[in-house]
Amino acid sequence: MKLKIVLIGVAAFALLAYAHYRFNSGPISRGSLEPENPPSTAAGAGQAEAPKEREVFRVGFLPVTCHLTCPVTSWVTQHSSAGTKFQAERFSDFPTMKEALIARKIDATFMIVPLAMKLAADGVPVKIVYLGHRDGSALTVGIDSPFKEFKDLAGKRVAIPSRFSNQHLLMQRMLKQNGMARDAIELVEMAPPDMPGALAAKAIDGYIVGEPHGARAEMAGYGRVLFFMKDLWPDFISCGLVVRQELINDRPELVQELVDGIAASGLWLEDDIDDGAQHRKQASEVVGKVFYNQDPKLLEWVLTRPTDRVRYDNLLPTRKNFDEIMDLAVEMNVITKRMAFEEYCDAQFAPDLGALPKIENFPPPDVAAKSDK
Amino acid sequence: MSIPALVTAVVAAAVIVASRGLRQRAQAVVLPIFTGILLLAVWHLWAESTWYELATPGQPTRRVEVFPTPGRVLPAFAELASDGRIFRYIIASLFRVATGFGVAALIGIPLGLYAGWSTRGGYAIDPYIAALRPISPIAWIPISTLAFGIKDEAAIFIIFMGAFFPIVTGAATAVRSMPIAYVRAAHNFGLRKWELLRFVVFPAALPQIITSLRIALGIGWLVVVAAEMTAIQSGLGFLIVDARNMGMRYDLVVAGMIVIGAIGIGLDWLVRRLERLDSVRWGFSKE
Repeated sequence: MKLKIVLIGVAAFALLAYAHYRFNSGPISRGSLEPENPPSTAAGAGQAEAPKEREVFRVGFLPVTCHLTCPVTSWVTQHSSAGTKFQAERFSDFPTMKEALIARKIDATFMIVPLAMKLAADGVPVKIVYLGHRDGSALTVGIDSPFKEFKDLAGKRVAIPSRFSNQHLLMQRMLKQNGMARDAIELVEMAPPDMPGALAAKAIDGYIVGEPHGARAEMAGYGRVLFFMKDLWPDFISCGLVVRQELINDRPELVQELVDGIAASGLWLEDDIDDGAQHRKQASEVVGKVFYNQDPKLLEWVLTRPTDRVRYDNLLPTRKNFDEIMDLAVEMNVITKRMAFEEYCDAQFAPDLGALPKIENFPPPDVAAKSDK
Repeated sequence: MSIPALVTAVVAAAVIVASRGLRQRAQAVVLPIFTGILLLAVWHLWAESTWYELATPGQPTRRVEVFPTPGRVLPAFAELASDGRIFRYIIASLFRVATGFGVAALIGIPLGLYAGWSTRGGYAIDPYIAALRPISPIAWIPISTLAFGIKDEAAIFIIFMGAFFPIVTGAATAVRSMPIAYVRAAHNFGLRKWELLRFVVFPAALPQIITSLRIALGIGWLVVVAAEMTAIQSGLGFLIVDARNMGMRYDLVVAGMIVIGAIGIGLDWLVRRLERLDSVRWGFSKE
């Protein structure tokens, strides 16, 4: 009798474990993506090469448009016939992503720039090798709020994603430019996904964060964009591609391939924006459905209304931009030790954009799923 | 691998094994001390195993320390104490837990007594208590933010959610398991409904209620970290969440954990004192 109960228990657990690994594809992968296909032999590419195992390399991202080039590169490399497959690895928050990087569970990730600087200052061997985007954040307020200019926010409560975000530094920069005291606006740290809800519940008067969280309030009808980044800090940088120093030491060619892929993705997203922005619409469809689990319409809204709301060109990390961020971070005591550009940034991988191969193949999600079967 | 830590671990383990021969009173002193030393040594060894050497061409080889050893956490305590932060945070967390727990007891005890006493009350309330109880308080965070914004109330609500259900269930079970002879005797003395509740049912249920309060307070303290994940800016939970947001301040994370653990012991000790009151003591066979 007792043996029977134990056996049933063991069998039930075995079934559960099998189902978990069968349907959740391993403990690390966060489910979001990727038909787990072996290098597709029946995709009709016509090239009957020996089925060489292509290397898979994970790159971390958060579902925000600042990281859009990551899933775009992932999708492109998954549907090409050669080279490394870059698998976009989804995280939900920066601390967890940071911990995965520190513990060497992941070698490359998109991350807010001041946090990467802070990691480098704390002795974590990481380098920013390329930018993920320009602009792409919005200062969003309630639709019926009276605010017109930055000064109107005095005495109000505005949410920021983290002290170690450039959105925080931007707010400080704006306070200074407007001759306002450092604490004239109450800044509170909040997880980005919670911000639109907090605005709707009037717990905060506004928030500044990477898209599409600004557009969520806008689309739902209770928020409006008070400022785009181009109005406050043109060429605003919030996130960059961060890799571990060991990867640079041991696999420079892999870093190069990744940076090339990110740069090509950026070019692809930009090259038809004056001509209907079809690429951005395609990207919204694929990334929204396969990677972010967000309504593609939301992404399309962010990427096309207007198209310079977020930009994917001019991605070279420059000393001038980063020094300005570093100075602000040190001034605000976000980083206590000033770091030289070379200590946290390695721009040697920035490619010659004219020489990059153009992205030709970007299949929509359903077609891709069919070709896998 | 550090040799001193390894030797310490081996010696501590040897003392624990050898303490078999000591008298019980001596064991009560030796065992906790040396298990502590063993734990610290194992922590040290594990932390060091996460460190690695980085050799970059053209630069001196350097050691990267991933997880802090016990020795690295001590300065974090000093840092937290020097600006008084730790005391402000302890007060904030204690205040929130006291409030959340207090409200949970004020609502939970009468509700549980009613659910246990009245058949109709049990039918109406029981299934929903049973369904809501297994939901982790963390799941309430989004709702709490929407309802209470980013003020203290949001965190207090999370703690309330953790403490409330054990109290209701505890009180209800206490009444149900009360010997029916008490009620019959009370009826023979001609007690009215309210007198019955006040002088018979409540005192009879009290020992079990105290036990459920002890469990509930433990849970309330347990969820303080989750509760302070809401956008408030003080408290021991906030200390941990905030340290995670920084670059490499896992020393602060561990220091926060240790303080939470120590205060947890203190709180449990306090509630145990309640169990010694005369009006409660009869319910416990031991102590």
